[in-house]
Amino acid sequence: MTMNAMPDVHTLTGAYVCDALAPAEREAFEEHLAQCSACSQEVAELREVTAVLGKAVALEPPARLKSAVDARVAVTRQLPPEVSGEFYDSRSGSTSESGASGGPLPEAERSAADQSNAGQSDAERSNAQVTPIGDAPSRRRRRGLAWSGWAAAAVLAGVAIGLGVHSASQQRQLNALSQQAGVVQQLLSAPDARSGRAAVRTGGTAMVLDSRSRDEAVISFTGLSAPPTGKTYQLWMIGPTGARSGGLLTVPATGNPNPVVAHGLGDAQTIGLTVEPAHGSAQPTTTPVLLLPMGS
Amino acid sequence: MTDRASSQAGAGRPAGLRGVPGPEAGGRGADRPTPEECLRKVALGDRDAFDHVYAAFAGPVFGLARRVLRDPAQAEEVAQEVLVEVWRTASRFNPELGSAQAWVMTMAHRRAVDRVRSEQAAEDREARLARSSAVVDYDDVVETVENRLDQQRVRNCLGGLTELQRESVTLAYYSGYTYPQVAQLLSVPLGTVKTRMRDGLARLRDCLGVGR
Repeated sequence: MTMNAMPDVHTLTGAYVCDALAPAEREAFEEHLAQCSACSQEVAELREVTAVLGKAVALEPPARLKSAVDARVAVTRQLPPEVSGEFYDSRSGSTSESGASGGPLPEAERSAADQSNAGQSDAERSNAQVTPIGDAPSRRRRRGLAWSGWAAAAVLAGVAIGLGVHSASQQRQLNALSQQAGVVQQLLSAPDARSGRAAVRTGGTAMVLDSRSRDEAVISFTGLSAPPTGKTYQLWMIGPTGARSGGLLTVPATGNPNPVVAHGLGDAQTIGLTVEPAHGSAQPTTTPVLLLPMGS
Repeated sequence: MTDRASSQAGAGRPAGLRGVPGPEAGGRGADRPTPEECLRKVALGDRDAFDHVYAAFAGPVFGLARRVLRDPAQAEEVAQEVLVEVWRTASRFNPELGSAQAWVMTMAHRRAVDRVRSEQAAEDREARLARSSAVVDYDDVVETVENRLDQQRVRNCLGGLTELQRESVTLAYYSGYTYPQVAQLLSVPLGTVKTRMRDGLARLRDCLGVGR
């Protein structure tokens, strides 16, 4: 079905902004829209009209809507901005697609699916493992931990407690999560859980929550910018015998990567972060932008 | 027109500041960021900005979902989905393509209509009606003053449409009918309905002074 051939395709703009087209027709019209700037312009204008029609029937929502939304927001990973050519382009985001993506898949699963798998090599696996949260399903299963998209937020909230940081929004996040966040509780409730923080030399802050008895650490970043073009961040586990790779830290173009979990701390006392060539290095090749001491 | 708009926008500010340039001088005052600015901050993970966005749009989103779906419980579910979606996809909002209001309300309408058309929804509705006595009483829903003004404005402009234009637009937009369903209800040809929806919305655009 090609709508381009239809002479009256432009007249569909009204029905389209009223969502009065059947799904197949809607899809065909959207294809046409992508090529017809006059139609896009008209659709944009008419959407401002329907928005006013919609606003005119506003009603005060029940108060519980706010708490329900807040609870879900606290555990919902946000989409990165659309960058043309990126793999997520095809899947989600723009207004026209977001409705279609409203399947039954829970947000948390969708968020987990969002994360690219860093694809750790065997060589890396023998080193300390630094796993983006939501990644590495086999490890998840082995540990019996239900890491998922919301765990990222949970970890942030958890680290915040560890540090005694209680901004209003973190507190809200925490409240919303307190019933669900068994995962973070496991780490937080370890008798030897420690937290630390350090500034990143190029801007931002890193926080760590670690436990020797659990042999893992959670590292989170705020205000960390994306690495220079063609470069990557690499994490290092630094101990008396030197630095082991902790894997690459994927940072979205907007900065602020998800927290990562490091398994197998070994004798490492410090977490380091360096800027390395795109595929990483066997040993640090630049001065660390971060040296983050773990609790000892 | 421009003068009137700017003097309205500048109401409450000292007249001498009217010429101050820059986005912060939009007349809303520094403590009232625009929804567009808030969405930009939401995209950066700012929860306080999201609270502003919620305050601006929860009522419209819920009200529209309620109007389309009728069922209060389903409307609440859809409103929740939409508002979480606003948080999730805030980075995809592009102010060059339209207002925050249009972005959010488009999402809300699409969701509500999709829900109303899904078979699941029909089953849900029946199930809910069956236990409707247990459903929280929504009769105390409040319409804000601002909302009444919007309502009046829309009512006036709808009044300026032909009957066919008005019926086509409202049956599609508020009742969630497809245009073939509207054509059948109004006993007019498909092409006529399509055209009337477009004409009607274009006339509303001019009457409401939006979208240009």
